[in-house]
Amino acid sequence: MKQSRSGKKQKFTIGMKKKLVVLFTLVLLAFVGLGVRLILITKNNGEEYEKQVLSQQQYDSTSLPFRRGEILDANNTILAYSEKVYNVVLDAKLLLRDDKYLEPTIKALVTHFDLDAGEIRSYLKDHPSSQYYVLAKKLPYDQISAFQELITPGSDSYDANIQGIWFESGYVRKYPNGSMACDVIGFTSSDNTGMYGLEEYYNDTLSGTMGREYGYLNEDSSLERTTIPATDGDNIVTTIDGNLQSIVEKHLKEFNDTYKNNARTGNGANNVGCIMMDIHTGDVLAMASYPNFDLNNPRDPQALIGMPAVDEKGNKVKGESIYDSGVYITEEMIENFSDEELYQNYNALWKNFCIADTYEPGSVAKPFTVATGLESGSITGNEVYNCTGVLEVGGWPIHCHNTYGDGYVSVERGIEISCNVAMMYIAQSIGNGTFTKFQKDFGFGLKTNIDLAGEARTEGLTYNAADMTSSDLATNSFGQGFNVDMIEMITGFCSLINGGYYYEPHVVKKIVSSSGATIKNIEPRVLRQTVSASTSEKIIQYCNQVVAGAEGTGKTARPAGYMIGGKTGTAQTLPRKNQQYVVSFMGYAPADNPQIAIYVVVDRPNTDYQPDAKYATRIVRAVLTEALPYLNYPMTEPLSDKEQQELMELRDQMVTTANIEEAAVEGQEGQEGQEGEAAEGEEGTEENQEAAAEEEQPAMDGPRSSIWETFERDPSTGYYIDPNTGAMIIPETGTVIGGDDLPDFDGDGPGSEGNADNTAEGNP
Amino acid sequence: MERFKTLRKEKAESYIDYSMIFIILFLLAFGLVMLYSTSSYEANLDFGDSAYYFRHQLIPTLIGLGGMVLLSYFPYRFFKNLALVIYVGALAFLFALIPFGKVINGAKRWLNIAGFSVQPAEICKIAAIIFSATIIAKLQKNLMTAKGLAVTLVPTFFMAILVYKITDNLSSGVIILGIVGLMLFISTPNYKPYIIIAVSGLGACAAIVWFISSSAGNPEMGFRSERILAWLDPNAHASGKGFQTLQALYAIGSGGIFGKGLGESMQKMGFIPEAQNDMIFSIICEELGLFGAIAVMLMFLILIWRLMIIANNAPDMFGALLVIGVMAHISIQVILNIAVVTNTLPNTGITLPFISYGGSAVIMQLAEIGIALNVARNIGRAD
Repeated sequence: MKQSRSGKKQKFTIGMKKKLVVLFTLVLLAFVGLGVRLILITKNNGEEYEKQVLSQQQYDSTSLPFRRGEILDANNTILAYSEKVYNVVLDAKLLLRDDKYLEPTIKALVTHFDLDAGEIRSYLKDHPSSQYYVLAKKLPYDQISAFQELITPGSDSYDANIQGIWFESGYVRKYPNGSMACDVIGFTSSDNTGMYGLEEYYNDTLSGTMGREYGYLNEDSSLERTTIPATDGDNIVTTIDGNLQSIVEKHLKEFNDTYKNNARTGNGANNVGCIMMDIHTGDVLAMASYPNFDLNNPRDPQALIGMPAVDEKGNKVKGESIYDSGVYITEEMIENFSDEELYQNYNALWKNFCIADTYEPGSVAKPFTVATGLESGSITGNEVYNCTGVLEVGGWPIHCHNTYGDGYVSVERGIEISCNVAMMYIAQSIGNGTFTKFQKDFGFGLKTNIDLAGEARTEGLTYNAADMTSSDLATNSFGQGFNVDMIEMITGFCSLINGGYYYEPHVVKKIVSSSGATIKNIEPRVLRQTVSASTSEKIIQYCNQVVAGAEGTGKTARPAGYMIGGKTGTAQTLPRKNQQYVVSFMGYAPADNPQIAIYVVVDRPNTDYQPDAKYATRIVRAVLTEALPYLNYPMTEPLSDKEQQELMELRDQMVTTANIEEAAVEGQEGQEGQEGEAAEGEEGTEENQEAAAEEEQPAMDGPRSSIWETFERDPSTGYYIDPNTGAMIIPETGTVIGGDDLPDFDGDGPGSEGNADNTAEGNP
Repeated sequence: MERFKTLRKEKAESYIDYSMIFIILFLLAFGLVMLYSTSSYEANLDFGDSAYYFRHQLIPTLIGLGGMVLLSYFPYRFFKNLALVIYVGALAFLFALIPFGKVINGAKRWLNIAGFSVQPAEICKIAAIIFSATIIAKLQKNLMTAKGLAVTLVPTFFMAILVYKITDNLSSGVIILGIVGLMLFISTPNYKPYIIIAVSGLGACAAIVWFISSSAGNPEMGFRSERILAWLDPNAHASGKGFQTLQALYAIGSGGIFGKGLGESMQKMGFIPEAQNDMIFSIICEELGLFGAIAVMLMFLILIWRLMIIANNAPDMFGALLVIGVMAHISIQVILNIAVVTNTLPNTGITLPFISYGGSAVIMQLAEIGIALNVARNIGRAD
């Protein structure tokens, strides 16, 4: 048995056992060898490899974007907001892990994002190991939400075969109203930096803090990862009233549409600006200028067409003759612009005319001269001056716009008819020192510190008492020879009519955190008292006459049903005798109890005959006709039939607009028909207004003793013709067309130094 | 006689190799811990579940333990009768890959059976051990004849070549050849032919390496030659084939003596691709340092030593050969794996037994241990 077992069963022999020991020894040697190798690696390369490992770690990692704060108007309408957008990122390596992912993923991409399958394929082929490739940029959430579902585990439409696609979030700035308030709001560059306007001035407030996801090495050299969430920026609530702003912009646009390509190819004027302000707080209610631009697409060259071209310093390119008011940009010029030139002109477009451009104000400065006289006691307001049409000062004959002379002019009538000679007499009695001191009080030559980026520095654009000659004083008295910007003028003017309180103008009234908590209320801030309450009352009385008085130069600014006050201005520019003018109207409403101020400036209207303040007063009238009812001021004046009709038409126009919207839903044809009508209606209104303005004149002019009114009237233009010289005379003011009141000074003091752009000459 | 019987029986029943069982359990538990540590970061990124790989390894491990216990009671001698069936069955699995194989990472290596991914190559390894042990035991002294060698080697080569051709997995084929070669080495008395084979094999490898390195840059060379170039100079191929190796070296080097601590590896965060597979040893080095790595190697050494003891005391040739096959399998995989991780050998994709991620592998390796345990159980039994 034993034998058979041993015969059958093969034993594990001694030789084999020996061999097994040899094998084990070999294995042992291999292990020892590998152990030695491990030790050598650690010993020789340990430090180097450790550094390598650390250097491969990404400590800086990713930054998480913050949401930039919103800009709201006074009624909490959103003017600017940031929308979360998503980049579609392809991770080719992840996608190509398995063949089965490829087709479903490409199909889903093509159907959801309108991508080209061929391009994706060729990219995958060329870069199979790429992990970051942006397929589509800045898509809003609703465009990616369906795809997001596909790649979110647990959702109904989840498809596990869609791989290697993820979304990277960011924000993009949106301006829902397009070009509305573009100058005030400003825009942002792609890296979230504000440019111009509120976006620049309040950049720090609007910007939040970037969040960060980062790794760092702790004391044991091991990597810790931390996420600090982003802090969203604060919202700002502005004093801008979106409705007033729209009204203003509508009429500036309307002005441009009326006068563009009129006397020259180009916009209706080099610039048209309008500011509306609450005189008791310094709140800017509306601020606009034309040309404007679309905030969502600020680099649209079409917006440049019709603007005067500028050089590298931002100064206007001069035309061939001094009578050219600029070289106007055409499509052809844009094509030939270099990048720098294009950018220069964009800068001119983007800057806010209302705060950045300086010019000689002209006769709108006269109320300031009178106020200085009254406040300093130099005049009592009861003086009467004799205007012969010219006054010789410092050896220069300085004319009134009515070169035939206004006869005896009281202080009040001096404002009403805008008499230069009366103002020169008043200024002479005030004297250099007091005059310049008051100019500073009114804020001329000082920044207003309005909370907008890009306010012009006007220091040095007004005279020092020591440098001022008698002829400088004389021209300054009617607003020539020194430069201001719009915000300076209207801020100073508000103080004249609100009892003398000079408020710091401001655009933002509240800063609110992203969660809605008020962080800061910006209260009205009185900086100083410029004049006394009694002077203020007198100025209101005088300025009311400009609109209400029989000889008032601003009658055409009065909106139907209301009485307002104000002052017209027609300023000559430099070089003198270039026939280029800045016309303006600065007023307030209601006349008996001023609440709001409005200032419209038309820089070189596109007409053959520029020095006519009606270009500005008509805009004021159109704006106020809509704005005052909106602000709920009761009508105080009886409506004439014509005005009634006009208001009816205005109302109809608004109704028609509503109809258009309704019709648009119904069908395209209907819309076109209605639009045509609406357009006609608008034109009609325009004509009516002008007709009304023209016709008003003779009716109210009755008792006026103006020599030129005895002259014959040119039937086509309505201007009087001087039989002696053949010169045309503007009926309201007696200004001779082409004639100049101011002598052609050489080197005209601060005016010429400051801004060669505009300088002017005293006028209505 | 009666007394002897009872005595024998008692002894036979009582012999269980506890030290080996302890080592296996330790390696499995340690492997699961390291697997979780290594894979949790990437699993969280890819699947949103940091325990994804851990859970997918835990179930096969438990199944494998169950199989190990069962096999430790299954008389190993029956494998003699089943050898042909097992061999043919393994080949059937291998052929099933051609129509039904699942392609993962570009290679056709997995069969999907009832929701489980099965790797036929792993089945082939255990089949080769059983089949070769049976043949060698049967041939006995005829082994040294040409016919005997042919009978032993032809089926083995056939299987190894099939594994290589079908699964495109050279290393598994080489392991099968290595296991059978070592079994033959033990069961034949002389050394000379093996020394000649080893020397000529090394010479051939050196020649191939020299040939490849001298013709570097030739685009027609396959990925294997690129691996060899990357092995010779991993820094030059840092962005390609050398990336994984280099990152593994960084991991080893940065671990130091006691490592960064469990779970503190930085290299596992996307730098070592698929670290839970063949590169898990580098993460062990990084987290537990030289100390941990050498401890793991010692564990494997003790396991191999225990297998050697079992083989030495096996009741018969067949049992001894089975255990030697298991021992050869584990030794080869551990040595090659660590050699690859330390860039001693070119990158081949051999996993570390009991520790690397892979369900089929751990089940089959535990089955092999089960067989070895059964052989151990029979130590001292005469019949």
